[in-house]
Amino acid sequence: MKALREHLALALRLHFRNRMALLYGYLFPLIFLVAFYVLYRHERVPLLRHMGELLTVAVLGGACFGLPTTLVSERERGVWRRYRLTPIPTWVVIASTALARYAIILTAGLLQLGLALALGMTLPVHPFDLWVVFTFTAFAFIGLGLVLAALADTVPAVQALGQCIFLPMLIIGGVAVPLAALPEWAQHVSAFFPGRYAVEGLQATVTGTGLAGAKFCLLALTLTGLAGVIAGAKLFRWDAQERFAARPGKLWLVPAFAAWVAVGGIAEWRGRIAVPADKELAPPKAEPAKTPTPAASPANAPAATSPAPVSAAPALTPPPAVTRPLPPPPPEPLWMKLTLQDTEGLDYRLPPDHGIVAPFAPIDEAPEDFMKELVDGVRTKLPDWPPGAEGDELRCVRNLLYVAAVPDAIQMPVERYLPRVVYERMIDTYPRDRLIKMLTYIALNPEAGMVIDDISELGIEGTAGDPSVVRERAYLYALKFLLRLTGKVSE
Amino acid sequence: MSARVIVRDLRKRYAGVEAVRGVSFAVEPGEIFGLLGPNGAGKTTTLECLIGLREADAGDLQVCGFDVRTQPEEVKQRIGVALQSTALQDQITPREALRLFGAFYRQNEKPETLLARFALEDKADARFATLSGGQRQRLALALAFVNRPELVLLDEPTTGLDPQARRELHGAIEQMKRDGCTVLLTTHYLEEAERLCDRLAIIDRGQVVATGTPAALIAEARGAQRVALTASGPLDRARLTALPHVAELQIGPTANAATFRTARATETLAALTALLAAQGLETVELTVRKASLEDVFLNLTETPAATEAHG
Repeated sequence: MKALREHLALALRLHFRNRMALLYGYLFPLIFLVAFYVLYRHERVPLLRHMGELLTVAVLGGACFGLPTTLVSERERGVWRRYRLTPIPTWVVIASTALARYAIILTAGLLQLGLALALGMTLPVHPFDLWVVFTFTAFAFIGLGLVLAALADTVPAVQALGQCIFLPMLIIGGVAVPLAALPEWAQHVSAFFPGRYAVEGLQATVTGTGLAGAKFCLLALTLTGLAGVIAGAKLFRWDAQERFAARPGKLWLVPAFAAWVAVGGIAEWRGRIAVPADKELAPPKAEPAKTPTPAASPANAPAATSPAPVSAAPALTPPPAVTRPLPPPPPEPLWMKLTLQDTEGLDYRLPPDHGIVAPFAPIDEAPEDFMKELVDGVRTKLPDWPPGAEGDELRCVRNLLYVAAVPDAIQMPVERYLPRVVYERMIDTYPRDRLIKMLTYIALNPEAGMVIDDISELGIEGTAGDPSVVRERAYLYALKFLLRLTGKVSE
Repeated sequence: MSARVIVRDLRKRYAGVEAVRGVSFAVEPGEIFGLLGPNGAGKTTTLECLIGLREADAGDLQVCGFDVRTQPEEVKQRIGVALQSTALQDQITPREALRLFGAFYRQNEKPETLLARFALEDKADARFATLSGGQRQRLALALAFVNRPELVLLDEPTTGLDPQARRELHGAIEQMKRDGCTVLLTTHYLEEAERLCDRLAIIDRGQVVATGTPAALIAEARGAQRVALTASGPLDRARLTALPHVAELQIGPTANAATFRTARATETLAALTALLAAQGLETVELTVRKASLEDVFLNLTETPAATEAHG
């Protein structure tokens, strides 16, 4: 144990003396975080929806590049050859190296979390569970790092092999590109990459139901980690003169990657390929009618960026009479109590209408011919679309917003034109003052209500996959509609 | 007391080439034993088989009473090793390295003691990357002593060092002997072997060609006294070759000069003087030098082709 303790302590000390290691270990994850912050700057809670991805990137970088680079460079120098002359057992070297790397990765993750909090992110919903899943993620990727170290004869080979794992995991493995944005075949492929389970598991602890929503992810990470650690230990090489090609026991690579196949197979068998359901990603919220006051914002909405809460007694204007009694008859809708001050107090820092997020075509811009039919189809069907026409009118308004939000979340070419269709439909249906109040309420309570992610009845095929994105975009469109309704934006 | 190292019929083959072909020797407690041989003779392979860096194909290897192949842990607890070049992490300091390596053994020496013993106190907290070649090699020796070893194995410890650093290291190795330590070293420096070693095994092309103390090896080679002659006129190769006990005759660098070896110098020189007088030649210069370890070494390790060329 003394050998393990000393080697662990020394590995950490040497890491903190190595500027390049610090750069790769700490600065790169932070740069990634800042890039995500800038990319998704219009999200209501900065970075909250992306912590799974960001932490996974930090672990991947530390374990799949940092760990094998250190191991192989020391082996190339002859450090391990010198260790081999001593009675230190192989497992002590591997365990202490892996523990040191875990500590490095953990501090990188904490730094990321700290910066995210400083940028306005709210605390993860399940901090302890987050640590647990983070540890499993680190275990899985450290196992992979050990395999890479065994495979690579030189440091450049580590870089090449690392990229072969890192880039596919980032692009089609669900780590940097949301699964919902990927074609179906890529979603199937992603099930075979441990990165997907790391992102899902971590995100479940940040915004979801914690460990309860990450059971399969933990199983997947454990399997891949165990296989990697065992294969990495069996293929461990002390001496750079002993090349991988000439080494016996190469079959140990089979279980390492067989674990990935097994996990993907189980996921396919259990039908876990589709992107996570609403209940797994977002905390369950009560319908607006059950919300005690409009000020009761969602648990994970940040104080710094959420719209200003409505005052406890905002009823300066008398509630208008209910014109359309609806079953069950509400005593008085809460949104009716909102005032112009509540509307004025909203945060109107919005992405531009001509941008990528929540675009809104000008009134005089006609869609191209190939989209015109689609836009006209939605315009025709919208009055009879049950979710937007039947039942509680607040719910109808929220559902209509999704008609603009879903194509935006999917990034369909038609996304610029549908907000106008929805906006016109709302103006035609609801009195201006009531519409302002309802949109204000929705902007104050963006997490309330169920998300509609499928509007194929209107001729718009595809789903965004991630309901939180759809909520986000609906929130942005509610504000954009309010700007027009209150005359802040003239058309 | 039993031998610290016993090697019997060691064999090791690389890619079809037999690098070590039945090497046998024993190292007694308290002695400095040298494996001397030209580059590629099999010295380092023999040492690496003993310290567990390579697995022998055949042979019996015992170190400190333990079998190297079946009890490597016990062997490693009792030996200290300094390789030809010891690489450590650039950022590690000698103090940290000694502390770390000490933690790998059941018993260990304090880093401060070793730093003082190997004159590394001034560099105790300097990064490895900033140490000179001599300082690195002294640190390698200090690391070899971190577990208070019964046997120290040094692989070409002074290769690549400047004369000053080499002298310092010789002093350190002599101190090991005074401290009662057994040392097995490989070297291709003859003067180093002659100065440091109590006994030597000369290895050539994977085989031990001679074993003994440097003095005994030289004495055995006394028949290889070297004569250098410069005469007033050209020398006749055939007549010189016909002189009694002359071997390895070389004419040059001029036609008036020759060198050769003889087993009986007095008898050969008497005949030589008579020959020169008969030819009317004067002796300009004549030297007779006793055999050195270099002569022994060259005599034993020269390839047949080289010997023919000399003749």
